[in-house]
Amino acid sequence: MTAAYELNNIKVSHNNVCILNIAELRIASGKCIALLGENGAGKSTLMNLLAFTAKANQGTISLFDQVIVNKLKPKQRRRIAMVSQQPYLLSGSVRDNIGLALKLQGIARAQHDSLIEKTLQQLNLSHLADQAAQTLSGGELKRVAIARAIVYDPDILLLDEPFSHLDQRHIKQLEGAIQSFANKANKTVIFSTHDHPQGLAIADETLNLHAGKITAAPLLNLFHGSLDQHDFDTGKLVIHANSDLNDANHIAIDPQEIIISHKALDSSMRNCFKGRIVLIAQETNTIRLTIDCGEAFQAIISPESLKHLDLAIADTVWLSFKSTAVTVF
Amino acid sequence: MTYFIDSLIAALELITSFDHSIYRIVATSVSISLIASVIAVILAVPAGVLMALNTFIGKNSIQHLLNTLMAMPTVVIGLLLYGLFSRLGPLGHWGLLYTPTAVIIAEAILIFPIMMNLTITAVNSADPRLKPTLISLGANQFNLAWNVIKTMRLAILAAAVTGFGRAIGEVGAAMMLGGNIEGFTRTMTTAIALETSKGEFELGLALGLLLLIIAFVLNFILSWLHRPKQ
Repeated sequence: MTAAYELNNIKVSHNNVCILNIAELRIASGKCIALLGENGAGKSTLMNLLAFTAKANQGTISLFDQVIVNKLKPKQRRRIAMVSQQPYLLSGSVRDNIGLALKLQGIARAQHDSLIEKTLQQLNLSHLADQAAQTLSGGELKRVAIARAIVYDPDILLLDEPFSHLDQRHIKQLEGAIQSFANKANKTVIFSTHDHPQGLAIADETLNLHAGKITAAPLLNLFHGSLDQHDFDTGKLVIHANSDLNDANHIAIDPQEIIISHKALDSSMRNCFKGRIVLIAQETNTIRLTIDCGEAFQAIISPESLKHLDLAIADTVWLSFKSTAVTVF
Repeated sequence: MTYFIDSLIAALELITSFDHSIYRIVATSVSISLIASVIAVILAVPAGVLMALNTFIGKNSIQHLLNTLMAMPTVVIGLLLYGLFSRLGPLGHWGLLYTPTAVIIAEAILIFPIMMNLTITAVNSADPRLKPTLISLGANQFNLAWNVIKTMRLAILAAAVTGFGRAIGEVGAAMMLGGNIEGFTRTMTTAIALETSKGEFELGLALGLLLLIIAFVLNFILSWLHRPKQ
């Protein structure tokens, strides 16, 4: 499969502080990819690099196997669309804003009306076509920004935190819009989010970004501390990890590898902690438990397990996981 | 006090009687300043927008130079252009000295840094998302500049009005390069200086009042342009 992007030795610094450091990254085309990470992990910086609206201090980025040295050529620019975290609409109507994208992309004027109408219908925005852009609600504004981005049929759609500050109804509408674009042939969608389940729900793949670095860790149950002889000390708990990386100071534990029980298990699992359930949240086909053991752990179980274990908030439970479930980085 | 009040009444009579000589001076002044402003806008607005939108070596030095030029005394500009346009100067054969064209050139040079600086400020005050949005939508350098000008049009218009206000109130360069020739290069400011020195205080006062009215109208326009959005 061809690569939409290939990043090599990318470094971005701000005031001599490195905020993004990616040795190598290949993003295949035709996929819907969630870029996950906490606030400040470098997601927006990476999105801006991928949109070529910002430059790295070091390294190279290839777009569809072509190294981009300086600026994008108009044909290359037309293959990418970006919707920022807080999209900016220019003064004028919704139609004017979508039309501007077509004008700037140099698309023949005769096609403008039909393309605008088609996109407005696709995103269920036809009733807002002549409304002033400045009077739109947050959810409407994001959908208009997506309409403006996809009206010229780009190959790559980049969305920076598209679901932030939106209610469930608007999130559902946006998810539908993103998925309908992603389902088209050879379309690549990359969206950033700090909400891990959101990313898993609609993405084919996830990319985890932590402190400016791409990591294979799932970024849930993320703890900071120091590793000494396989023991990782968070300051509150000591977690056994199967790693020899002595300079590592982060660990992450896959929430699906955590086993919940009412009593301490007699097993080979090296990590076993007692805690209280502080949150039970239902997600798509799964249940997420938050358990306070001194550190807050998150575990993902099935609705059947929840029923079988008869768990409720404030219950005391034991959680166990193998040292191989701990990713050290 | 009686002298001042009598002169003020006489000045008001001159204004209300639509004295031909007064309004001819006003027309000369307005037309020279307007042409100078149009020339300065054509040069300063694109230059200001391009400078604000781009990063290049020497940008800070140009900014310092513009700030210095904004504070440059008008007589210095008059002096330099006098040297260029006088018979013995390098451009003397153009025959521009003591013509409205020389005054227009001087005033355009005078207000260029003001308009360019205010345009840079206007573009820098635009929403920081504007430029990346336009670039991501495929804007080239021309589209980018044009859409930024369209978005910031009121602030840029305010820069133009400020420049016009500065031009119409200018006296030093207009006197040196225009020569204060009646019906040709006599502007409101040079006429005020001349008439007052001749003892024609009421005529100077009448022109001064009209200049104040123009300044008031310009400030009203500026306040309207900067009014808070509803």
